[in-house]
Amino acid sequence: MILANLYNKVIGFFRQTEVQETESAKETACNRLRVVLMQDRTNLTPELMERMRKELVELLSKYVEMDKDALELNLEQDGDQVALMLSIPVIRAKDEDEIKAALEAEDKEEETSEEGSDEASEDEAEAAAEEEDDDDDENIDDNLEQSSENDESEENKPDNTDEGNDKKDR
Amino acid sequence: MSGRVIVITSGKGGVGKTTTNANIGTALARAGKKVVMIDTDLGLRNLDLLLGLENRIVYTIVDVVEERCKLKQALVKDKKNPNLCLLAAAQTRDKSAVTEEQLKDICEKLKKDFDFILVDCPAGIEQGFQNAVAGASEAIVVTTPEMSAVRDADRIIGLLEAKEEIKSYKLLLNRVRPNLIKSNDMMSVDDVVEILSADLIGIIPEDTGIITSTNKGEPIVNDEKSLAGKAYNNVARRIIGEDVPFLNLEEPQGVMAKIKKFFSGLTGKEK
Repeated sequence: MILANLYNKVIGFFRQTEVQETESAKETACNRLRVVLMQDRTNLTPELMERMRKELVELLSKYVEMDKDALELNLEQDGDQVALMLSIPVIRAKDEDEIKAALEAEDKEEETSEEGSDEASEDEAEAAAEEEDDDDDENIDDNLEQSSENDESEENKPDNTDEGNDKKDR
Repeated sequence: MSGRVIVITSGKGGVGKTTTNANIGTALARAGKKVVMIDTDLGLRNLDLLLGLENRIVYTIVDVVEERCKLKQALVKDKKNPNLCLLAAAQTRDKSAVTEEQLKDICEKLKKDFDFILVDCPAGIEQGFQNAVAGASEAIVVTTPEMSAVRDADRIIGLLEAKEEIKSYKLLLNRVRPNLIKSNDMMSVDDVVEILSADLIGIIPEDTGIITSTNKGEPIVNDEKSLAGKAYNNVARRIIGEDVPFLNLEEPQGVMAKIKKFFSGLTGKEK
């Protein structure tokens, strides 16, 4: 009886330390609070974020082939500033012809030719995200950081998912 | 004399606004300041209970506003400390019985006779909050290291920042439980301060003595031995302008806590 008790205590002790290694209740609370406060402060509801995410996928797909479901868009606190963090898992960079074709098709559709740059994917993403931001909420000090990788390596995908996990753990 | 008007607010209910008000008020009065507390929680008054003055209330703030009595007649003197007064809320009326302008006016008048006017704010961010804040130029935001309280405090801070009349606000962290913080089960003082990025004016430990002191109608600052009482006294001294270090809540207080610590040390980690 006493032995069983002791055994339980020892096991319990190790379990506890194990749990603490992953995430303590305090860390969970802090992380959840940071997210919810950022939403409160910016008026960007989860629905709006999802809409922004979808529109970004649509826009960026013209330039790169990517894992559409894995594109992550998060609000993060950076000191006093709120930052929009965009993580884009690139499967393959599109070649010139593909990009041109996509752009031309769009130009025809809209009949507005603004830009035809071939490798503007980053600038474009930034500009687009900032625009979005302004539309949805003018109070945000927008500050877009992009963590996309444009090279064509096979490691791209796992790399990016790791990155996403890292962020969540922080 | 031109007194300072400080509103004590929180957003969330039950985090200890009224307890804080009663204790800071009493501590300031004990330090020789002339203090008046205004309960603006119309319909849900409690400050009178915490001070043990519930049987002495003749007129309330609504009587003053509706001119059934003079302002001075409505001020209830504390049992022990002649420096301390209470302007009670009406229990039978709702928040609309007093307007922002009227509260501002009352605060202006009281400034002439008192060093400190502490305004006890109702929970929420509706008209009751707007009224309470109207006459104040400083604020103390009370919160606890719990998610919901911190979130509501963040809302309140946002609203306070938008108010021109509020020149400064400070954070008071209530019901802190050092053992839970130590085991990483509760947000620490630093976590809350960082998340809210606000200046801290006090850290009050969770103290069962608060329950008995409320039951007796005797603020805990009158109890020299109580740790929460000491912490509240320190808050009052910081308000006056003294530079007082924060209490170290890490070490267990009292013999029982030490014995408990000894045993939990033997068995590894209990609980």
